[in-house]
Amino acid sequence: MDKIRNQKIAKQVERWDLFARLTPTLFLMTSLLLVVFDVVPLEYAFYIGLTGFAITAVSWWWWAIFTIRYLITVLSRASSNLTDVNDEIKIVKKELADLKR
Amino acid sequence: MNDKTYRLVKAATNIISGLSMATIIVLGVAYMSFNNAFVFQDIKIEITNNPVDTTRDIEFMMIGSKKYECNSTRVYGVAYAEDGSHSHDLDLFTQQYTRNVRPGEEMPNQWHMKVPGDMISGGVYRVSMTGDFVCNYLIFTQEKSQTYDNILLIVDPR
Repeated sequence: MDKIRNQKIAKQVERWDLFARLTPTLFLMTSLLLVVFDVVPLEYAFYIGLTGFAITAVSWWWWAIFTIRYLITVLSRASSNLTDVNDEIKIVKKELADLKR
Repeated sequence: MNDKTYRLVKAATNIISGLSMATIIVLGVAYMSFNNAFVFQDIKIEITNNPVDTTRDIEFMMIGSKKYECNSTRVYGVAYAEDGSHSHDLDLFTQQYTRNVRPGEEMPNQWHMKVPGDMISGGVYRVSMTGDFVCNYLIFTQEKSQTYDNILLIVDPR
Protein backbone atom coordinates (compact mmCIF):
# COMPACT_ATOMS: atom_id res chain seq x y z
CA MET A 1 0.00 0.00 0.00
CA ASP A 2 2.76 2.42 1.07
CA LYS A 3 4.92 1.37 -1.87
CA ILE A 4 2.17 2.20 -4.41
CA ARG A 5 1.49 5.52 -2.75
CA ASN A 6 5.22 6.36 -2.60
CA GLN A 7 5.47 5.65 -6.33
CA LYS A 8 2.47 7.90 -6.93
CA ILE A 9 4.13 10.74 -4.99
CA ALA A 10 7.37 10.27 -6.92
CA LYS A 11 5.41 10.55 -10.19
CA GLN A 12 3.60 13.67 -8.94
CA VAL A 13 6.95 15.29 -8.02
CA GLU A 14 8.22 14.56 -11.54
CA ARG A 15 5.08 16.12 -13.03
CA TRP A 16 5.44 19.26 -10.87
CA ASP A 17 9.09 19.46 -11.91
CA LEU A 18 8.18 19.27 -15.61
CA PHE A 19 5.34 21.77 -15.13
CA ALA A 20 7.66 24.27 -13.39
CA ARG A 21 10.25 23.82 -16.14
CA LEU A 22 7.96 24.34 -19.14
CA THR A 23 4.96 26.47 -18.14
CA PRO A 24 6.62 29.89 -17.53
CA THR A 25 8.51 29.84 -20.85
CA LEU A 26 5.51 28.49 -22.80
CA PHE A 27 3.17 31.06 -21.25
CA LEU A 28 5.59 33.96 -21.86
CA MET A 29 6.20 32.99 -25.50
CA THR A 30 2.55 32.30 -26.29
CA SER A 31 1.22 35.45 -24.65
CA LEU A 32 3.92 37.65 -26.28
CA LEU A 33 3.05 36.24 -29.72
CA LEU A 34 -0.70 36.62 -29.15
CA VAL A 35 -0.29 40.20 -27.89
CA VAL A 36 2.17 41.23 -30.64
CA PHE A 37 -0.12 39.87 -33.38
CA ASP A 38 -3.15 41.50 -31.69
CA VAL A 39 -5.00 38.22 -31.14
CA VAL A 40 -5.66 39.06 -27.48
CA PRO A 41 -5.35 42.41 -25.66
CA LEU A 42 -2.54 42.74 -23.13
CA GLU A 43 -5.09 43.06 -20.33
CA TYR A 44 -6.52 39.58 -21.10
CA ALA A 45 -3.04 38.02 -21.17
CA PHE A 46 -2.31 39.67 -17.80
CA TYR A 47 -5.49 38.34 -16.18
CA ILE A 48 -5.04 34.85 -17.69
CA GLY A 49 -1.48 34.81 -16.29
CA LEU A 50 -2.66 36.03 -12.90
CA THR A 51 -5.41 33.36 -12.77
CA GLY A 52 -2.96 30.62 -13.79
CA PHE A 53 -0.47 31.80 -11.19
CA ALA A 54 -3.14 31.80 -8.46
CA ILE A 55 -4.50 28.34 -9.41
CA THR A 56 -0.96 26.89 -9.50
CA ALA A 57 -0.06 28.44 -6.15
CA VAL A 58 -3.20 27.13 -4.41
CA SER A 59 -2.95 23.62 -5.98
CA TRP A 60 0.73 23.32 -5.10
CA TRP A 61 0.10 24.51 -1.55
CA TRP A 62 -2.58 21.86 -0.90
CA TRP A 63 -0.57 19.14 -2.64
CA ALA A 64 2.47 20.03 -0.46
CA ILE A 65 0.40 19.98 2.74
CA PHE A 66 -1.15 16.54 1.99
CA THR A 67 2.19 15.09 0.87
CA ILE A 68 4.06 16.37 3.92
CA ARG A 69 1.32 14.99 6.19
CA TYR A 70 1.60 11.58 4.49
CA LEU A 71 5.43 11.62 4.70
CA ILE A 72 5.29 12.50 8.40
CA THR A 73 2.86 9.59 9.01
CA VAL A 74 5.16 7.18 7.13
CA LEU A 75 8.23 8.50 8.97
CA SER A 76 6.55 8.22 12.35
CA ARG A 77 5.36 4.65 11.61
CA ALA A 78 8.85 3.65 10.43
CA SER A 79 10.40 5.20 13.54
CA SER A 80 7.94 3.36 15.82
CA ASN A 81 8.63 0.03 14.04
CA LEU A 82 12.39 0.58 14.39
CA THR A 83 11.96 1.21 18.13
CA ASP A 84 9.99 -2.06 18.44
CA VAL A 85 12.73 -3.96 16.58
CA ASN A 86 15.38 -2.35 18.80
CA ASP A 87 13.49 -3.38 21.96
CA GLU A 88 13.11 -6.94 20.68
CA ILE A 89 16.85 -7.16 19.89
CA LYS A 90 17.61 -6.02 23.44
CA ILE A 91 15.34 -8.77 24.83
CA VAL A 92 16.94 -11.42 22.58
CA LYS A 93 20.44 -10.23 23.61
CA LYS A 94 19.47 -10.48 27.29
CA GLU A 95 18.01 -13.97 26.80
CA LEU A 96 21.18 -15.09 24.99
CA ALA A 97 23.34 -13.73 27.81
CA ASP A 98 21.16 -15.58 30.40
CA LEU A 99 21.51 -18.84 28.43
CA LYS A 100 25.31 -18.49 28.34
CA ARG A 101 25.54 -18.23 32.15
CA MET B 1 19.98 10.64 -24.24
CA ASN B 2 23.03 9.99 -22.08
CA ASP B 3 23.41 11.17 -18.52
CA LYS B 4 25.56 14.20 -19.36
CA THR B 5 23.16 15.48 -22.05
CA TYR B 6 20.21 14.90 -19.73
CA ARG B 7 21.88 16.98 -17.00
CA LEU B 8 22.70 19.75 -19.46
CA VAL B 9 19.14 19.85 -20.79
CA LYS B 10 17.79 19.90 -17.23
CA ALA B 11 20.12 22.75 -16.22
CA ALA B 12 19.28 24.74 -19.37
CA THR B 13 15.52 24.34 -18.88
CA ASN B 14 15.96 25.37 -15.23
CA ILE B 15 17.72 28.60 -16.25
CA ILE B 16 15.28 29.40 -19.08
CA SER B 17 12.29 28.71 -16.85
CA GLY B 18 13.75 30.89 -14.06
CA LEU B 19 14.42 33.77 -16.45
CA SER B 20 10.91 33.46 -17.93
CA MET B 21 9.38 33.50 -14.46
CA ALA B 22 11.43 36.60 -13.52
CA THR B 23 10.35 38.32 -16.78
CA ILE B 24 6.68 37.47 -16.17
CA ILE B 25 6.84 38.85 -12.61
CA VAL B 26 8.69 42.07 -13.64
CA LEU B 27 6.28 42.71 -16.54
CA GLY B 28 3.26 41.91 -14.35
CA VAL B 29 4.33 44.33 -11.61
CA ALA B 30 5.22 47.03 -14.20
CA TYR B 31 1.82 46.58 -15.88
CA MET B 32 -0.08 46.87 -12.58
CA SER B 33 1.87 50.00 -11.63
CA PHE B 34 1.27 51.56 -15.09
CA ASN B 35 -2.40 50.53 -15.11
CA ASN B 36 -3.14 52.09 -11.72
CA ALA B 37 -1.17 55.32 -12.14
CA PHE B 38 -2.87 58.65 -12.79
CA VAL B 39 -1.62 60.68 -15.75
CA PHE B 40 -0.66 63.73 -13.69
CA GLN B 41 0.75 63.82 -10.18
CA ASP B 42 0.93 66.80 -7.78
CA ILE B 43 -1.49 68.57 -10.10
CA LYS B 44 -3.09 71.96 -9.58
CA ILE B 45 -5.36 73.85 -12.01
CA GLU B 46 -6.56 77.42 -11.44
CA ILE B 47 -8.36 80.13 -13.38
CA THR B 48 -6.06 83.15 -13.13
CA ASN B 49 -8.34 85.98 -14.28
CA ASN B 50 -11.39 85.69 -12.00
CA PRO B 51 -13.76 87.48 -12.40
CA VAL B 52 -13.73 87.08 -16.19
CA ASP B 53 -14.94 90.35 -17.72
CA THR B 54 -16.63 90.76 -21.11
CA THR B 55 -13.40 91.46 -23.01
CA ARG B 56 -11.38 88.42 -21.81
CA ASP B 57 -11.40 84.65 -22.27
CA ILE B 58 -11.13 82.20 -19.36
CA GLU B 59 -7.40 81.79 -18.59
CA PHE B 60 -6.37 78.47 -17.09
CA MET B 61 -3.04 77.63 -15.51
CA MET B 62 -1.90 74.16 -14.56
CA ILE B 63 1.11 72.76 -12.76
CA GLY B 64 1.87 69.07 -12.37
CA SER B 65 4.14 66.32 -13.57
CA LYS B 66 3.61 63.15 -15.57
CA LYS B 67 5.12 59.80 -14.63
CA TYR B 68 4.71 58.20 -18.06
CA GLU B 69 4.80 59.29 -21.69
CA CYS B 70 1.21 60.43 -22.33
CA ASN B 71 -0.29 62.32 -25.23
CA SER B 72 -3.64 64.09 -24.87
CA THR B 73 -6.31 63.20 -27.41
CA ARG B 74 -9.15 65.34 -26.06
CA VAL B 75 -9.39 68.04 -23.40
CA TYR B 76 -12.66 69.66 -22.37
CA GLY B 77 -14.32 71.36 -19.42
CA VAL B 78 -17.78 71.64 -17.94
CA ALA B 79 -18.77 74.69 -15.88
CA TYR B 80 -21.43 73.86 -13.29
CA ALA B 81 -23.45 76.73 -11.81
CA GLU B 82 -22.85 76.88 -8.06
CA ASP B 83 -26.57 76.45 -7.31
CA GLY B 84 -26.58 73.29 -9.48
CA SER B 85 -29.27 74.67 -11.78
CA HIS B 86 -27.37 74.43 -15.10
CA SER B 87 -24.03 73.75 -16.76
CA HIS B 88 -22.04 74.92 -19.80
CA ASP B 89 -19.55 73.00 -21.92
CA LEU B 90 -16.15 74.61 -22.33
CA ASP B 91 -14.54 73.33 -25.52
CA LEU B 92 -13.46 76.36 -27.51
CA PHE B 93 -9.73 76.91 -27.07
CA THR B 94 -8.50 80.40 -27.92
CA GLN B 95 -4.97 79.56 -26.81
CA GLN B 96 -3.65 76.00 -26.86
CA TYR B 97 -1.79 74.23 -24.05
CA THR B 98 1.70 72.76 -24.49
CA ARG B 99 1.44 69.14 -25.62
CA ASN B 100 3.76 66.19 -25.05
CA VAL B 101 5.33 67.58 -21.89
CA ARG B 102 8.28 65.37 -20.90
CA PRO B 103 7.63 62.81 -18.13
CA GLY B 104 8.98 63.67 -14.69
CA GLU B 105 9.28 67.42 -15.33
CA GLU B 106 7.07 69.84 -13.46
CA MET B 107 6.23 72.44 -16.06
CA PRO B 108 3.57 75.17 -15.87
CA ASN B 109 1.05 74.83 -18.66
CA GLN B 110 -1.62 77.31 -19.66
CA TRP B 111 -4.52 77.63 -22.04
CA HIS B 112 -7.40 80.01 -22.73
CA MET B 113 -11.01 79.05 -23.39
CA LYS B 114 -13.82 81.16 -24.78
CA VAL B 115 -16.70 82.03 -22.46
CA PRO B 116 -19.73 80.13 -23.86
CA GLY B 117 -22.17 82.30 -25.75
CA ASP B 118 -25.10 81.27 -23.55
CA MET B 119 -23.35 82.26 -20.29
CA ILE B 120 -25.10 85.66 -20.49
CA SER B 121 -26.06 86.25 -16.90
CA GLY B 122 -22.60 85.34 -15.52
CA GLY B 123 -22.21 84.14 -11.95
CA VAL B 124 -20.17 81.71 -9.92
CA TYR B 125 -19.32 78.33 -11.45
CA ARG B 126 -17.30 75.22 -10.56
CA VAL B 127 -15.36 73.90 -13.54
CA SER B 128 -14.37 70.26 -14.14
CA MET B 129 -11.51 69.87 -16.62
CA THR B 130 -11.15 66.41 -18.18
CA GLY B 131 -8.30 65.12 -20.31
CA ASP B 132 -8.26 61.90 -22.35
CA PHE B 133 -4.77 60.52 -22.98
CA VAL B 134 -2.92 57.70 -24.66
CA CYS B 135 -0.02 56.59 -22.46
CA ASN B 136 2.99 54.43 -23.29
CA TYR B 137 5.36 52.56 -21.00
CA LEU B 138 7.80 49.79 -22.03
CA ILE B 139 5.66 47.48 -24.21
CA PHE B 140 2.36 48.77 -22.80
CA THR B 141 -0.07 51.28 -24.33
CA GLN B 142 -3.22 52.39 -22.59
CA GLU B 143 -5.95 54.99 -22.84
CA LYS B 144 -6.43 56.99 -19.65
CA SER B 145 -8.69 59.77 -18.50
CA GLN B 146 -8.21 62.22 -15.65
CA THR B 147 -10.58 64.86 -14.29
CA TYR B 148 -9.78 67.82 -12.08
CA ASP B 149 -12.88 69.18 -10.33
CA ASN B 150 -13.94 72.23 -8.44
CA ILE B 151 -12.04 75.01 -10.21
CA LEU B 152 -13.62 78.31 -9.25
CA LEU B 153 -14.88 80.42 -12.16
CA ILE B 154 -16.52 83.82 -11.74
CA VAL B 155 -17.99 85.38 -14.85
CA ASP B 156 -19.24 88.94 -15.15
CA PRO B 157 -22.65 89.36 -16.85
CA ARG B 158 -22.33 89.74 -20.62
